[in-house]
Amino acid sequence: MNKVITINLGGNAYQLEEGGYDALRVYLETASAQLQGNPDRGEILSDIERAIAEKFRTRLSSHKNVVETKEVTAVLTEMGPIEVEPGETACANASGAGATGSGSGQETTGVERTAGCGAAPRRLYRIQEGAMIAGVCNGIAAYMNIDPTLVRLAFVLLTIFWGTGLIVYVVMAIVVPEARSPEEKAAASGFPATAQEFIRRAKEGYYEAMRNFPGRNARREWHRRFKREMRAHANQWRYNWHSYWVRHAPCHPGMGFALPFLSLLQGVATVLFLCALISLLATGTVFGLVLSASVPVWVAALLLLIAYGILVAPLKLARRSCYWGLGQSRWAWPFAFFLDAIIWLAVVFALLFLAIHFFPELRDAIHGFPSVIQQAADDIRTWWHGK
Amino acid sequence: MSINEKFSAIRKGLLEFLVLQIIASEKVYVADILKQLSTTQFATQEGTLYPLLSRMRRQELLDYEWKESEAGPPRKYYQLTAKGREQLRETLEYWGEINGTVKKLGQK
Repeated sequence: MNKVITINLGGNAYQLEEGGYDALRVYLETASAQLQGNPDRGEILSDIERAIAEKFRTRLSSHKNVVETKEVTAVLTEMGPIEVEPGETACANASGAGATGSGSGQETTGVERTAGCGAAPRRLYRIQEGAMIAGVCNGIAAYMNIDPTLVRLAFVLLTIFWGTGLIVYVVMAIVVPEARSPEEKAAASGFPATAQEFIRRAKEGYYEAMRNFPGRNARREWHRRFKREMRAHANQWRYNWHSYWVRHAPCHPGMGFALPFLSLLQGVATVLFLCALISLLATGTVFGLVLSASVPVWVAALLLLIAYGILVAPLKLARRSCYWGLGQSRWAWPFAFFLDAIIWLAVVFALLFLAIHFFPELRDAIHGFPSVIQQAADDIRTWWHGK
Repeated sequence: MSINEKFSAIRKGLLEFLVLQIIASEKVYVADILKQLSTTQFATQEGTLYPLLSRMRRQELLDYEWKESEAGPPRKYYQLTAKGREQLRETLEYWGEINGTVKKLGQK
């Protein structure tokens, strides 16, 4: 004895055994999910329901008014799986995802929709066409769907201010493959327009809102919201990049040994920096270089800090890529991390200890440190008031 | 890989063309189309045909009208639009060219 469930298919009632009902429900739910984003989804689904109803009807008679489970499965096998029409569903899905992602579906233009849909996942390549040097900036621009000039500008600025741009460029020129085949070239361009969306929203939203401010409070509130949004974008970006690296960073056991070595170098650099800073503050000399009287001490300290940043940036970068690479294998990660931290701390303390032990000036300098800080603070204050 | 598997992508692509041709001769409903295809290499199922027909209708290649059936719910009878006929004509022409190329190539 089986329980029977009555359903409505295409305007007529049918009685199905419970197992058959479940099978039919799963089939229709799957079909509905498959057709997600298809503009005719509702119509196709009702077509299918009607077709199923017709097939049920041929299996019923005046003496038999319940569709058995095995008949339902037979009918569903006859129907076959819902074939997704190429280019339609994937496309609609992409734009749907974009809409929920940005929260502004109706703003998405047709161009972006076709650009973002149906394409293979984007990958970072170097693009030689129209390249200045190795096509790195070009590739990044295509990947993020922005103007290559902006990327080049960013690299130049990075090089001037932090010294990292050039290093990053060289590393990427070596590491990032060149897009050669048409497929690779297609895959190189466009990553669902995050950067473009970012800039477009920044421009549009900002100026739009600037035009009509009812009052000061509204302006402040709006400014706050804008900043928050930008921050969210930046976070998303950072997250994207980070997860990209984590997925693509090369994992090599040698990294486990390279990491402490790199840390050692960085530790040495840190100690050198600290020594230089102390000697600068205490005696006004940096590695024998006498500071000219016209340069305030705090400016020299700032310059020293920038120099240290430039020196250490590539080391930091290399260490970070080691971390990311090692992060892929579960066992190596905590081990390398622990070893690294221990070595780093040990080196810094050992060198500091030795330096203080062997250079009496340093010891004196540390004793005189509070007064030096006082002096620096006074310097800044007089400079501030003098302005 | 059997010849059948090798040609599966081609068969899939040609299905639209064959559906156009079936609909061109008379007003049909889905079960008719399936029946005509069932004895050929292009045998297919409702799950494939309905999405295909709905796309072709959206592209204005075909249209349908409702007809009551003696058994069960009303049926959709499909027919070609002018655009559909034009497309069929173009496709037939192109198919003829392909056929000619296939026969001609390699013969001296």
